[in-house]
Amino acid sequence: MTDITLGTTGAAGAAPRFDWPFLAAAVAATVLLIALVLLDGQPASAALLVFGFGLGAVFLKAEFSFTAAWRRFLVHGEAGGLLAGLLVIAIAAVVIVPTAALLPGYGGAIAPLGPSLIIGACVFGVGMQLANGCGSGTLYTAGGGSGRMLITLACFIVGSVVGSLHLPAFLALGGIDPILAADYLGSWGGLAATLASLAVAAAIVVGVARRKGSAFQPRRALVIGGILVGLLSIAVFLAGGHPWSVTFGFTVWGAKIAGALGFDFSQAEFWQWAGPKRALGDSILSDTSSLTDLGMIFGAMAAAAATRPFARTAWPPAKSLLAATIGGLLMGWGARIGFGCNIGAFVGGVASGSLHGWIWLGAAFVGSYAGITLRPWFGLSRD
Amino acid sequence: MRAVYAIVLVLAFAALVTDHLTSPSSGRAKSPEDFPGACAPCGAPCPSAKK
Repeated sequence: MTDITLGTTGAAGAAPRFDWPFLAAAVAATVLLIALVLLDGQPASAALLVFGFGLGAVFLKAEFSFTAAWRRFLVHGEAGGLLAGLLVIAIAAVVIVPTAALLPGYGGAIAPLGPSLIIGACVFGVGMQLANGCGSGTLYTAGGGSGRMLITLACFIVGSVVGSLHLPAFLALGGIDPILAADYLGSWGGLAATLASLAVAAAIVVGVARRKGSAFQPRRALVIGGILVGLLSIAVFLAGGHPWSVTFGFTVWGAKIAGALGFDFSQAEFWQWAGPKRALGDSILSDTSSLTDLGMIFGAMAAAAATRPFARTAWPPAKSLLAATIGGLLMGWGARIGFGCNIGAFVGGVASGSLHGWIWLGAAFVGSYAGITLRPWFGLSRD
Repeated sequence: MRAVYAIVLVLAFAALVTDHLTSPSSGRAKSPEDFPGACAPCGAPCPSAKK
């Protein structure tokens, strides 16, 4: 997620102006997609589009930002944004951990533990600080009118396709099977352990903030946004059967484009696994992450166009665009090698009681620190 | 920037609808995790399955 300014025009305090063409386009596109999946008799797919739309609007209005929150914590010790992120996970975990353990047809976000997870998450962390947004942040800022993040999104897609070709080789480096709290402690014990781990993380974050003399209370908008994002994450889980994820959709979009341009994936191991193979052959609207991604783009677009002229800002300097390009490529590659982004790996993983979510966070934090040190090379602030 | 957005929006949406209309789409939307043997959100197999 990002702290990119999406751009406003007009005097401060002026009445909000609707941007009717883009507002109408965002709403019409969403309605048409909903109609298409309903024609196929798929109300759950329609629900995923609607919940994605809500997520896009909430992220944009609350300016929910993992990327900026991590940077403020690493540079200044400010903890408010990080705590809001932990709030999202705690809310989601209350439903996801027991439901995934007890109800057939539902499952948590899991991933193997090994070099692939650590390397991918670390590279993703570098990329998110250069791009100024992670997976969901790229979606809502690109949807919200940031041309810079539109470039990041395109490069994210390219990087994730390249990552899909490299993932089998990284998996061959070794690793162990996923570790789920519910497998060892039962559904409710797993939930208790997950909530306890979140409380410990929050205590550590607040302790660091206090020692640095920095603020640790989240802004009111972040608390409200965090609650709404947490509830929408639950809704996505219940509709889709798995925790909300973002980046697999990008990989499918990129592979479909590459396939249309003549690239042959029949020899690529990743695309022979059952899930990716099915996603590549079927409609994009048959993939759960694509549905929420599309909803999120149009939700952010509608929210942005409902309050100000859309995409009226000038393009940023070339060095900033270069950072957006490199950041997008690194995030895409890292997300595929490391099993997801802040949402799919960290939020989804921890909210499922899976150990890989915490390992992903640690490695991505290391990468983020490196990315923050690189930001001035591209004319970006370290703050 | 606004014109770029309009062009990208139209082209991407046209590609999306074309893909949907020309690809199989029956059945519930799925995640790679729904398939047997999947060990990650992308559908990667478990390390134990590869040994």
